[in-house]
Amino acid sequence: MSRLIDIGLEQLSKLLFKMGELAEKTVSLSLDSYMEGLEVHEKVRIWSETLVALSEQVEEKAIELIARYQPVASDLRTIESYMKIAYDLSRYGRYAWDITFIHRRLDVSSTDCIFPSLPIKELNEKVKNIVQTSIEAVRRNDVGLAKKIGEIENEVDIVYYECLDKLVEQDRITTKCLITNLLFIRHLERIADHASYIGESIIYLVTGERISLRGRMLNES
Amino acid sequence: MSYKIEIEDLNAWFGNNHVLTDINMKIRENAVTAIIGPSGCGKTTLIRCLNRMHELVPGARISGRVLLDGQDVYGNGVDPVTVRRRIGMVFQKPNPFPMMSVYDNVAAGLKLNGMKDKRRLDETVEKSLELAILWDEVKKELDKSGASLSGGQQQRLCIARALAVEPEVILMDEPCSALDPTATAKIEKLIRMLGKDYTVIIVTHNMQQAARVADFTAFLYLGELVEYGDTSSVFQNPRNKLTENYITGKFG
Amino acid sequence: MNRYMIRKIKDRIMVSLAYLALIIALIPLVSILIETATRGIPAINLSFLTERIPPLGQPGGGIGPAIQGTLIVVGIASIIGVPIGVFSGIYLAEFRETKLASATRFLTDVLTNMPSIVIGIFGWILIVTVIGWSVIAGAVALAVMMIPIVTRTTEEAMKLVPVTIREAALALGIPRWKTTITVVLSSAKKGIATGILLAIARISGETAPLLLTILGSRFWFGGFTEPTAALPLAIFNFSQSPYSAIDWPRAWGASMVLILMILGINVAVRYFTRGKYG
Repeated sequence: MSRLIDIGLEQLSKLLFKMGELAEKTVSLSLDSYMEGLEVHEKVRIWSETLVALSEQVEEKAIELIARYQPVASDLRTIESYMKIAYDLSRYGRYAWDITFIHRRLDVSSTDCIFPSLPIKELNEKVKNIVQTSIEAVRRNDVGLAKKIGEIENEVDIVYYECLDKLVEQDRITTKCLITNLLFIRHLERIADHASYIGESIIYLVTGERISLRGRMLNES
Repeated sequence: MSYKIEIEDLNAWFGNNHVLTDINMKIRENAVTAIIGPSGCGKTTLIRCLNRMHELVPGARISGRVLLDGQDVYGNGVDPVTVRRRIGMVFQKPNPFPMMSVYDNVAAGLKLNGMKDKRRLDETVEKSLELAILWDEVKKELDKSGASLSGGQQQRLCIARALAVEPEVILMDEPCSALDPTATAKIEKLIRMLGKDYTVIIVTHNMQQAARVADFTAFLYLGELVEYGDTSSVFQNPRNKLTENYITGKFG
Repeated sequence: MNRYMIRKIKDRIMVSLAYLALIIALIPLVSILIETATRGIPAINLSFLTERIPPLGQPGGGIGPAIQGTLIVVGIASIIGVPIGVFSGIYLAEFRETKLASATRFLTDVLTNMPSIVIGIFGWILIVTVIGWSVIAGAVALAVMMIPIVTRTTEEAMKLVPVTIREAALALGIPRWKTTITVVLSSAKKGIATGILLAIARISGETAPLLLTILGSRFWFGGFTEPTAALPLAIFNFSQSPYSAIDWPRAWGASMVLILMILGINVAVRYFTRGKYG
């Protein structure tokens, strides 16, 4: 039986999927361009602002559905999760923009500061992977994929700390390069964090359980 | 954490019609418990089994036990009249006694059971009307006919009448379904307040109402208890798929 | 437009026919009242109402004993009939499904339609053959006529009380019998009173049973085991008199008195059962 709220829920998920697509594009463009030394600042900035606007639309729509239809159970969890995911997706955009900022403002990219021992490329690939997985998990409401995000996040953490260690070890490094690399890996790590939040939201939406994808069980009720 | 009423293996019939099947429930004391479910699922029958009103219908019978403070209300030698003094009831359509004044309505349960002390009657009438949040509105007109009040006031009058007998449990059968939203809101607030000192069981087909007023919610479907738990859990994360489908409006 | 006009005309015709039927139905009623009033009222004066019944053809006197007789016989019949009728009605309303209830209901319906002369014979056989023409016989016969009416109307009045009222009282922990005689009965008061009214009015004018039980007389009440006068009998006797000039006006006067009495009973009972919350 199709209900009044179903129309609203469909509109909400359409918005969200649109955001997901855009967020994926934004992150890919930003990360790849940084690695290749390309200037994409303006484009990414516009996309990031679009993502923020879209997340505001999602929030408004969600509140409207709550006020009008007093949703319960899975409907309520869906709306709550979508609101959170929209925010996380907008953060993807924001960090993607921050990364282009490094090149733009400091006038330097990773191609200028190559340190072979730094597993920057690996980190980059893993983060791109985790972003794609997260958006796929949203599209398919897939708990399995959401849990996979947790695994990838662990791997990201490991490489991140490796990068940090290696950075500390470097003794012949300019301040500029130090800051560049530091900022880059830091932003990548934050993107990965948000991916795990998205995974947690999907798990809550489907199962009603709130768990941390870092392995700790969070009992909210 | 005590249970005022424990329902054990309750089954109920109207003639050959089996309307309640194997109900097992423990009702928490001094809390509001709501019973929800689609029309005809047996909610009204269930509460009428608690105060032994079910058996008044010709051909109606039950099996199982209903324990009030540990004692079976259907036990040998238990007088239904005493049960009904401890378990009061408020009905769907407000039903004040038409030939009686507001005062007489509230005092009816006491007077007809022999209380003659005018002072005690006055006190009880005032206390009950205050509990029912009606005193201020009628204190100057206690002699007016019970039927001359508005719908919402009549229902509060019926609640005061039920409270005057000093029951321990109050059963409410869709008490707001004949009332407008403002009157409903007043009564819902009243129900929450009563839940602190009485064990209140309310039947409602309005899920949002259950969500608003009840501490615990039970979902009945086709005479069976499908789910029963604290209201937050039932409405945020129901364990049974049937419950989920009902409360999200996918059927019923 | 055309169809609308046709419908309007049809409507008007139907309404007119209904009015016509009403007028035709009222004509006999109204004409009885007018005839009785115009012929009867001139005959009524204080002495007419208080003096004893003269022999046929003799001027003077009045219908005093007849009025007294009717009041006494109807009064005693009510004392017997009302309690029995009301309690039977309560029984039928409360124990609807029992075999006794169904049987009672059936017999009551039969009795309601029993010819009054048959009831008169019943009273004659039962009582007159034992103690003679008497007030008691008349009262019993009229009571027998009254009981089924009161029973049925009481039952109906009780049934009209909504189940919710009954349930509300039961849910307060009031025992069933108390619920019935306090809450339900008081809600049904008006209906029951109306039923009693109807019955009294009905039996006040019954002639056949009285013919076979109290016989009639020209004298004041002389004892419960003696015959007595009554208005219907007086009307009958005066109207059959050959001295039409003297006696027929008396018949009309007595008729008027009877009608006024019944009307009076009606009004009085209505007044007293109005209640505060009519």
